[in-house]
Amino acid sequence: MLTRALAGEAAAFGMLVRTHQRSVYSLALRMLSDRHEAEDLAQEVFLGLHRNLSSVESPAHLAFWLRRVTLNRAIDRLRREPRQTVPLEDASSLVIDATEQRDPLLQRRLRALLGQLPPAPRAVLLLRYQEDLNPNEIARTLNMSINTVKSHLKRSLATLRERIGDGANPGAGKTELGCLPDEAG
Amino acid sequence: MSNELNDRLRAALRPVDPGERFTQGVLARIAREPPRVPVAAQRAVRRVGLRWLSGALLAILATGFLVAHQWRAQHAQRGEAARQQVMEALRLTSEKLDLAYRVVKDKEHSGA
Repeated sequence: MLTRALAGEAAAFGMLVRTHQRSVYSLALRMLSDRHEAEDLAQEVFLGLHRNLSSVESPAHLAFWLRRVTLNRAIDRLRREPRQTVPLEDASSLVIDATEQRDPLLQRRLRALLGQLPPAPRAVLLLRYQEDLNPNEIARTLNMSINTVKSHLKRSLATLRERIGDGANPGAGKTELGCLPDEAG
Repeated sequence: MSNELNDRLRAALRPVDPGERFTQGVLARIAREPPRVPVAAQRAVRRVGLRWLSGALLAILATGFLVAHQWRAQHAQRGEAARQQVMEALRLTSEKLDLAYRVVKDKEHSGA
């Protein structure tokens, strides 16, 4: 498919887009927390791929290139137009109500909590749990040291665990988390 | 708790497909872009271009070497001609001085 796309076959490039659009769009969506912006960014990434297809060496390199470019562009956008983010240590207002353990709601709240993290740890968690990459692969994709990746993972997970497990002050996070976008809708 | 959180995160972060409309949107944007040379052709052009570039660089270097060599030879020739002119001038001057010396000596002898 990659060889045919490299030869300039439009249908083959369409197949490449279909194969990778889930990953690229989902990374963009969870970085930017906005469906329209995520769609726009994901389209830009594929346009960039079309322009730079000759530099792609293999299917594995293609997946690596797409993840790297998507996250770098998302982080650039977040730097240019910063959203409201809360450092993990200060995210006390994002306590998840532990009495509501129904999975769809909890998943929605986990995504919302993730959306409040600073861009770098958010990208690390996405590559770990959405893309199923190991810390070495995450370090290569984000051009970080392995220790930084491990530190982001450790701190982010500890804080998430604390928020989920902590049922005290159950109403505190409801409003803030409830106003964040729901991917399903 | 740790495994449970991992499972919950994996479930919460399952990739979402933006749908066929997205694919069509990407392909439509690509179609609106100015036509591009196929990648194979781009690579061929790059290869040929690289060969031409290295050939041109070699030609420039060779020409530069030749020009420098010629300039140096001309410079040496001009230096040699100038040296010979100076030597000739010195020889002539010396002859004139000898002649003058002899005339003065002759006059001294005839006067005495």
